[in-house]
Amino acid sequence: MSGNLNYIIRRLLYLIPVLLGVCGLVFLLFNVVAGDPTMLLLGKHADAQQMADLKAQLGLDKSLIAQYFDIVKSAFTFDFGRSWATKQQITEMLYQGAIPSLTLTIPGFFISTVMSLMIAIFVAYYRGKGIDLFIRTLAIALMSTSSLVYILVFQKYLAFELGLFEISGYEYGFPSFIPYIALPVVIWVVMSIGPDVRFYRTLILDEIYQDYVRTARAKGLSEKKILFKHVLRNALIPVITYTVVNLPFLILGALLLESFFSIPGLGGLTLSAVNASDFPVIKAMAILSAIAYILFTLVSDILYTLVDPRVKLN
Amino acid sequence: MSDILLSIKDLCVDFNTGDGIVRAVNNISFDVPAGKTVGLVGESGSGKSVTSLAAMGLIPNPPGKITGGEILFKGKDLVKASEEEMRRIRGKEISMIFQEPMTSLNPVFRVGDQVSEILMLHMGMTKKQAWARSVELLDQVGIPDPQRSALKYPHEMSGGQKQRVVIAIAIACEPKLLIADEPTTALDVTIQKQVLDLMFDLQEKYKMGLLFITHDLGVIADIADDVVVMYRSNLVEQGDTKKIFTAAGHPYTKGLLACRPALDKNPKRLLTVSDFMDESGAEISLDESKTKKVDKVYNPSEEKNPVLLEVNNLHVDFPIKGGVFGRTVDQFKAVNSVSFKLRKGMTLGLVGESGCGKTTLGRSILRLIEPTQGQVLYNGIDLTKLDKKQLRDMRSKVQIIFQDPYSSLNPRMTIEEVLLEPMLLHNIGGSKEERISKAKWLMEKVGLKSNQLSRYPHEFSGGQRQRICIARALAVNPEFIICDESVSALDVSVQAQVLNLLLDLQAEFGLTYIFISHDLSVVNFISDEVAVMKSGEVVELDTASNVYLKPEKQYTKDLLSAIPKGIPKALLAEQNL
Amino acid sequence: MSTQVLSNESVKKESVEIEESRSLWGEAWHRLKKDKVAMTCLIIVCLYSLIGLLSALGLVAADWAKEVGPSYAPPFENWDYILGTDIFGRDVLKKVIHGTQIAMSVGLISSLIAIPIGVVLGALAGYFGGWVDEIIVWFYTTFSSIPGIILLMSIAFVLGKGITTVYIALGLTSWVGLCRLIRGEVMKHKNREYVQAAGALGAGHGRKLFKHILPNVTHIIIIFTSLQFQVAIKSEVILSYIGLGVSGQPSWGTMIDDAKMELARDVWWQLAGATFAMFFVVLAFNILGDALRDALDPKLKGKG
Repeated sequence: MSGNLNYIIRRLLYLIPVLLGVCGLVFLLFNVVAGDPTMLLLGKHADAQQMADLKAQLGLDKSLIAQYFDIVKSAFTFDFGRSWATKQQITEMLYQGAIPSLTLTIPGFFISTVMSLMIAIFVAYYRGKGIDLFIRTLAIALMSTSSLVYILVFQKYLAFELGLFEISGYEYGFPSFIPYIALPVVIWVVMSIGPDVRFYRTLILDEIYQDYVRTARAKGLSEKKILFKHVLRNALIPVITYTVVNLPFLILGALLLESFFSIPGLGGLTLSAVNASDFPVIKAMAILSAIAYILFTLVSDILYTLVDPRVKLN
Repeated sequence: MSDILLSIKDLCVDFNTGDGIVRAVNNISFDVPAGKTVGLVGESGSGKSVTSLAAMGLIPNPPGKITGGEILFKGKDLVKASEEEMRRIRGKEISMIFQEPMTSLNPVFRVGDQVSEILMLHMGMTKKQAWARSVELLDQVGIPDPQRSALKYPHEMSGGQKQRVVIAIAIACEPKLLIADEPTTALDVTIQKQVLDLMFDLQEKYKMGLLFITHDLGVIADIADDVVVMYRSNLVEQGDTKKIFTAAGHPYTKGLLACRPALDKNPKRLLTVSDFMDESGAEISLDESKTKKVDKVYNPSEEKNPVLLEVNNLHVDFPIKGGVFGRTVDQFKAVNSVSFKLRKGMTLGLVGESGCGKTTLGRSILRLIEPTQGQVLYNGIDLTKLDKKQLRDMRSKVQIIFQDPYSSLNPRMTIEEVLLEPMLLHNIGGSKEERISKAKWLMEKVGLKSNQLSRYPHEFSGGQRQRICIARALAVNPEFIICDESVSALDVSVQAQVLNLLLDLQAEFGLTYIFISHDLSVVNFISDEVAVMKSGEVVELDTASNVYLKPEKQYTKDLLSAIPKGIPKALLAEQNL
Repeated sequence: MSTQVLSNESVKKESVEIEESRSLWGEAWHRLKKDKVAMTCLIIVCLYSLIGLLSALGLVAADWAKEVGPSYAPPFENWDYILGTDIFGRDVLKKVIHGTQIAMSVGLISSLIAIPIGVVLGALAGYFGGWVDEIIVWFYTTFSSIPGIILLMSIAFVLGKGITTVYIALGLTSWVGLCRLIRGEVMKHKNREYVQAAGALGAGHGRKLFKHILPNVTHIIIIFTSLQFQVAIKSEVILSYIGLGVSGQPSWGTMIDDAKMELARDVWWQLAGATFAMFFVVLAFNILGDALRDALDPKLKGKG
């Protein structure tokens, strides 16, 4: 297994150039292209002295190279400084935002994945039949509406008119957060079920045309058993890896949902940072989510070797 | 008269292709007696595989559908059987072995589990009993160390071993009928022999009826009691093996038997189906002079056949990477110290089993793969030392024809573009008109119509595409051509035509060939000299007749003895009396 | 599977005899034409493009800014503003039409930005491999490591509000997927025997890449474009909600965003107008993308 260990070490080392690249991109956007943030912060009527002072305070009077290294340093030390808007420690803010985000995204993700998989298996079994066509069409239709429309309409009619759900807000602690996340979770499921069913169905059908399925049929196995035992076991390999790679986006939270339902999570945090021109928070989110993404890709690769006996990492 | 196990009566199968309905099997009838072997022979598109799938009730529907006839198994019509009934028959009463051993097993289950599964399904065994029986079965099909092998995953086994596992699954419930669809086609010749012997032993042991489907008459002769020949969805002839091989009635069968090169003597040009039958399928009388077999003579003269190519101590190494930084930790010697000389106008055959390095050797001579060390002297010039420009000029002298007629033509280019490109690259022909007229001439040279230049590759059959590839190689007026498995993907009857074409072109243009193939009889037919390769090295190099008639090395002897003799059992028995 | 080979072969034999020679593109078009649903979608897309074009030329809905009736007049009551009016008494139908122009142009221009980047980088990486590949892979890994929405927001944010920003932000965030696909496909074709044969005939890198490989991967660009349109149209809505979208003119995104306030007053027609307009074209692009994939990539045939 030393090959695997070598691979993991190599992948961890690869994190460094990618992280430098991410920092470069963030630097390019916010320190080079974005222009002078002091104007945004102080308003149009600030005098030159005030602006100079603020620049020095924010470290923006340094050379561009020094500014780049500040970003790199923050990426490796996880110290992103303070928010320009709230003056809080960013690490502290992110830590507080993570919990409400996760209380929304984990159930949403779990329910939508399980449901999509079940529907995908169902339509794969009836492939080519009327019900398959109907569900596929429905999936595409669901994908063809803006997620913002779902949020607006569901909030208006399910929460406001019918009073089935809380309209917005959040409360910390289990189980008091549940009423607040219920509707966002429903919307999450509606938004993700279309693309997921389509994707999983394709993965399952890719397997159905393999030779080993023919062998299984020649053994006299029933179509159900072939689907659930032989096909599903193989199709789950890409399903698992795809899902794991997408986990960091759960931590990031559901940007629109959080902002709309006033859930104090990371997504909402990011949106308010954009509205407040709060550079350090946006930068921190970009860098942290990139780190999470790379780490989860690695985890996904390692998982791959566990679920697929063919794969040796190298 | 033995019991009839399987009786196919007036079977018709149609496929809906979207562009219309195509009849894949047209009104065929034949029987498989219990305990006997019936060989079902045909080329691609003949409908032989569809017939076997029909017997298993495995025709994919849609697009396929059985539109008529009966398939009687022990008197019961399988066409009318429900899916539920078919499931109880599949695997238990009728088993099937498929062509692709590499993909026929489920990659994520241990082979022991895959054998156990069928035992638990049909024999009502517990998991433990089934596993114990699986180990016995694996032992029976010749898997070494069956206890431990049962725990392996398919990818940890070789192709031959995987096919043995598939056989173990097929015989697990001791079925009455075993259907084998090209079970050895994907395997090397020595492995093929072992697997065939195994199937035959098992058939004897369990007294199974065996329906053996193949394109290879040589294999059929070795194992079948009766032969059924299919051609373009129709059954053209059936009878006992001895009769088919000695007194075939249908011209197609005669052609099929005659077009396969033999290991000893061959006619100057191979006979093809078209020597026996015209386009409409009517028999034409055979020109007897074409059947005369000739001895191979190899006596090159110094002035007519000077040494054209000299390969000295050629090595090709592929690095094996490892460690954290992917450093090269070892070398894989794909070609190891190979030397030979080839005279102008002659053909050197390069044979060996898969992975022996023959393809790498061919490509490294052309520098499509860079050799690690050694010399390739062409007319005294060392090709390994040429710079880019010189190499490009040299490419008009030396050409290559690849194996796969489907991927070796750019699907988005018309045949005209395909043929004009090499002339353009080497400034052959002054004007476009000249080039087009040369392209037309080339098309006719390789036996195609000159008005087909505006067509695209997908509009041609495999054999026609291979002819186009030959025309493309000839477009630069080469002196030397490497044929890399150039006829391996073709049906036998088409193969014979292409081989004849290559010989004609050699005679007309004085071409020199290196002919790479895994097929020993084809190499024997076309080559003057033969090099046998194993693990990157040339183990034996001599004239073709010496290698085939008086092989010196054990490896060559093993290879030759593994080739099916193509003589029916009954006939062999008579000869031995 | 042998049955498939068989049926294809027999079809081929017939077509050689009966029909005129047809390129792979011709074959694909032939297949697509037989797909009624896909053709309907193609017609929908053409219709939207036409409306967008007419609007861009100022031939329709040029006077969308004009006050035609009372504020928030409900729909289906007055022929002058059949879909109702917005807060300023402007015709919702005209706004939807102008929004079509914005939506189609966002799809088109963001594709035009993404395609050259994706194709050039993907082709170079796939063809040359080695250190060229490593640098390009590093480059797009960097881009794809930052979640799309954050990158999109960041780019839109630093460039400031406006339609140009929307084009650029969407273009710069969507080339990675195309680049990956092209790279993989070029790698596959590079080792095909027809490219090796071209090499053996003396063709140089340029010829092998441009004349042989690229024409064989263009179908990916077409499929990508079809899907990029619907991604871009949906993203425009999100950007509008965040406040980084189109300003000074109506788009479907701004109309849906307006509905945040309007729904509380039971004004649903702007939302409905924009949503339905968007629904049909996104649906059409989705189905068309799938149909194109089936038609242009024959090896996937029968797998859907």
